[in-house]
Amino acid sequence: MRTTRLPPEIRQVLENGTPSAMVTCSADGKPNTTVISQVYYVDETHTALSFQFFSKTIRNVRENPRAFVCVFDIAGQAHWALELAFERSETEGPVFDAMDMQIEAIASMTGMSGIFKLRAADIYRVLSVERVPHRAVE
Amino acid sequence: MEQYANVAFAGIRDRDLVPFGHRVCGWRVGADHRTMTILVPDESLPRLVESLQQNGELAVTVEEFPSHETYQFKGKYRHHRGVQDGDAEAAERVRQRFVKSLRPMYAHAPENVLRAFVSPPALVIEFEVLEIYLQTPGPGAGTRIIPPAEG
Repeated sequence: MRTTRLPPEIRQVLENGTPSAMVTCSADGKPNTTVISQVYYVDETHTALSFQFFSKTIRNVRENPRAFVCVFDIAGQAHWALELAFERSETEGPVFDAMDMQIEAIASMTGMSGIFKLRAADIYRVLSVERVPHRAVE
Repeated sequence: MEQYANVAFAGIRDRDLVPFGHRVCGWRVGADHRTMTILVPDESLPRLVESLQQNGELAVTVEEFPSHETYQFKGKYRHHRGVQDGDAEAAERVRQRFVKSLRPMYAHAPENVLRAFVSPPALVIEFEVLEIYLQTPGPGAGTRIIPPAEG
């Protein structure tokens, strides 16, 4: 079922450490996909994504604020599809500090210490969220 | 990446430039080395096909986990078809690589739980690859490989 608020059960999925997939689109209509290491729960209607490099994703959402994120729940045999709109970028404050700490932990666990570096916490409004169960495989 | 990558994801956009994504359960490079075929599961297929037929824009990220070696292929939709002989087997090869790579992190997870991450294919999409970007995390991420970046 599709809703416009993040349900409580999504929080543990956001914190499971599994990379997520993100799609953005430039103003001239070119989609861009990327793997992101962290989707941070801000509140029921907002998430924060890490801005680590000056990437195509960062440029795209500043031209066209719409974004799509797929969060994987491997143990739950499902994924969550999030439609988002970029609102603002934060370089200090509680959300930035919490994400910075998580990024360090993820970098350490994945052998990416010194490569992952948080420049900003990009805050997105949640437009829709839907849990999509995966079909069983023989 | 055809031989050892184990995760992929496709990005599309609609007529209003709203992006959305689709899981990918298999991929192959065309014999002409200019096209690529992706296998996708039975999720949101009408939206996917309508968008591809309307604007043709497609981006696909392919990753080898856990090394994070990642490439993004951007191009133009050519056509799609239903699943044929060999497609389910191609997805199964990806599934086996995925389960093998995840097993150290999910030591106690039942086999069927890990296998379910790579769903059976329901549709096959061929597209012409126009650009390839390096996406492995690090300073070189985002570098265009094909055609080579100028300067």
